[in-house]
Amino acid sequence: MSSNYEKNLPNQEGYFGEYGGKYVPETLMLALSELESTYLSVKGDLDFQKEIDKDLSSFVGRPSPLYFAERLTKKYQGPKIWLKREDLNHTGAHKINNTVGQIILAKMMGKSRIIAETGAGQHGVATATVAARLGLDCHIYMGAEDVQRQSLNVYRIKLLGAKVHPVDSGTSTLKDALNEAIRDWVTNVDDTYYIIGSVTGPHPYPMIVRDFNAIVGRELIEQANNNFGKNPDAIIACVGGGSNAIGIFHPFIDKDEVELIGVEAGGEGIKSGKHAAPLNDGKPGILHGAKSYLMQDADGQVMSTSSISAGLDYPGVGPEHSYLKDVGRAKYLAVTDQEVMKAFHELSELEGIIPALETAHAFAVLPEVCSKMDSSQNIVLNVSGRGDKDISSVASIEGINLE
Amino acid sequence: MNRLTKVLSQNKENNIKSLVAYLVAGDPCEESTLELLNGFALSGVDVIEVGVPFSDPIAEGPIIQSAHDRSLKNGTNLKKILKIIKSFRKSNSHTPIVLMGYINGFLANQSEFSNFSQHGVDGVLIVDVPGEYSLSDIGFQNDSILSVSLISPTTSKERVSDICNASSGFIYYITLRGVTGANKINVNEIHENLLTIKQSTDLPVLAGFGIKTKEDATEISKLADGVIIGSQVVEMIKNSASNKDFKKIYNYLKEIKHSINL
Ligand SMILES: Cc1ncc(COP(=O)(O)O)c(C=O)c1O
Repeated sequence: MSSNYEKNLPNQEGYFGEYGGKYVPETLMLALSELESTYLSVKGDLDFQKEIDKDLSSFVGRPSPLYFAERLTKKYQGPKIWLKREDLNHTGAHKINNTVGQIILAKMMGKSRIIAETGAGQHGVATATVAARLGLDCHIYMGAEDVQRQSLNVYRIKLLGAKVHPVDSGTSTLKDALNEAIRDWVTNVDDTYYIIGSVTGPHPYPMIVRDFNAIVGRELIEQANNNFGKNPDAIIACVGGGSNAIGIFHPFIDKDEVELIGVEAGGEGIKSGKHAAPLNDGKPGILHGAKSYLMQDADGQVMSTSSISAGLDYPGVGPEHSYLKDVGRAKYLAVTDQEVMKAFHELSELEGIIPALETAHAFAVLPEVCSKMDSSQNIVLNVSGRGDKDISSVASIEGINLE
Repeated sequence: MNRLTKVLSQNKENNIKSLVAYLVAGDPCEESTLELLNGFALSGVDVIEVGVPFSDPIAEGPIIQSAHDRSLKNGTNLKKILKIIKSFRKSNSHTPIVLMGYINGFLANQSEFSNFSQHGVDGVLIVDVPGEYSLSDIGFQNDSILSVSLISPTTSKERVSDICNASSGFIYYITLRGVTGANKINVNEIHENLLTIKQSTDLPVLAGFGIKTKEDATEISKLADGVIIGSQVVEMIKNSASNKDFKKIYNYLKEIKHSINL
């Protein structure tokens, strides 16, 4: 199936097939090439790997367990359902895998100031966390709407000593936070390191963020073998920018027997137009430095998005996912907000795991996926994060007053 | 000869520093844009940069961002902008026009590329495409349209010559690290970098981003072949939007033109 998948992407110019590249204002070109050469020079270095591995085990708490979801499996009467527990990481999501790595690059490059964008606030928390450990000045850009719906994470970021800058331009969500972070970087490029939070943005970010998250898939190869003696038959992950998905997919891309399924935010339904599912209902375009599938109108203006989860509420997607879609190596589904709420409760009640709303998207495809598989098969869902941050928005969606 | 090349080279021959002024098409409305184009030309503006509005203009500061937003709310798009320029050409055949915008807006309207010169456009500046790419590299086949590229204080020496080789209109030197409208010009750095660029190219080199006052303009014009004024003009357009009396803007532009040719 994946015989037409090219290995060792991106190429030197930062392309995955036709996707990716470096479409940025001129002022950032030098910073991107310095980042790329720093990363390439240390990537294979044993001391660098050791430093990351040490932080991943003693600070993040890796490896994250692979857990057998017995009651979910029983309910769907299909394949055995396994959960890769990224929600158990320090700070509560996969995002820390990336920030632990990038902060080392920032330190090597001698940068004293850290900036990041965040949607759900998880990447903001993960960035503020690693910046605190090094005593670096840290600034987090967050859409004003997301500041409201993820207020718990906003407070966590502040407790960690970072400054949150609410962004009220455009649609006041993740896309606009990225715009503002890029503008900050253009202005302060000499002393500032930009930790992008997903496999989006200009080259080399989609490659770097993927490589730091691929620890998830590498652990899974071994855990799958220990638990059921072979590779999973399918791996499922939610897709916003796509970092948790690419992290768990990547080590399996050349293993054709493993089906890779990404789940986008279908919002009020694809037909309604109110969603955040560019791979399901967008066309190739260029935003935030890379070519990829994009939700845009006929004039190339980026459309506003709609999703119950702040972390998936983004009109674009990482370029490698666009490539995987086009070559047919991964498939991308979309689920509605309503289906997500159902999956959120189901996982909480059946397995004792309250997931992030982003993560619940992956679980919402279980009815469809399980109906086509049998009990000799194994599927793995990436539990990208825990739901603590979403408790108050879930309550308010359901009309429950917590005061 | 392309209008842009002609005007800039004539000015250079006659030792005149060129003034480039920027506006966002469709802000405050289409009719005003046409009026402003004519008004700019009559106020001594040598080249007009017409901003094509985009939903996510990452290189712009707050002033130009909100002009993009206002223009998009008015329903401005590339087709309508080309129509405005065509009307402008009925009364003005000598002032060059450069379209300035973001790659996604141009690519979505690829079918319009072939109409650019026939509607009176002379050059294109795409803010988020690296300068070493030529227009044809990104699917823009039109020999009569010139490519204007940006060079910034952080552009490496090696890339300066690549960018100059891929450009055909003029080089736009960004005077600071920052978005449009920022305020931290460093004259010494500008001087050094302009010298480097001029060693790589015979194209005119103009400087912009952050130039507001006559004093700034005078200072920069000693080093460059001209100056580009953006945010200040856009802010003045916003302030005159209610009564559509643009005289103040024209007077300001006349003063700037004077201050760069003292
Ligand atoms: C728990 C969790 N999962 C998923 C995402 C989506 O990001 P990505 O697609 O890069 O994994 C986020 C983003 O905020 C998140 O917090």
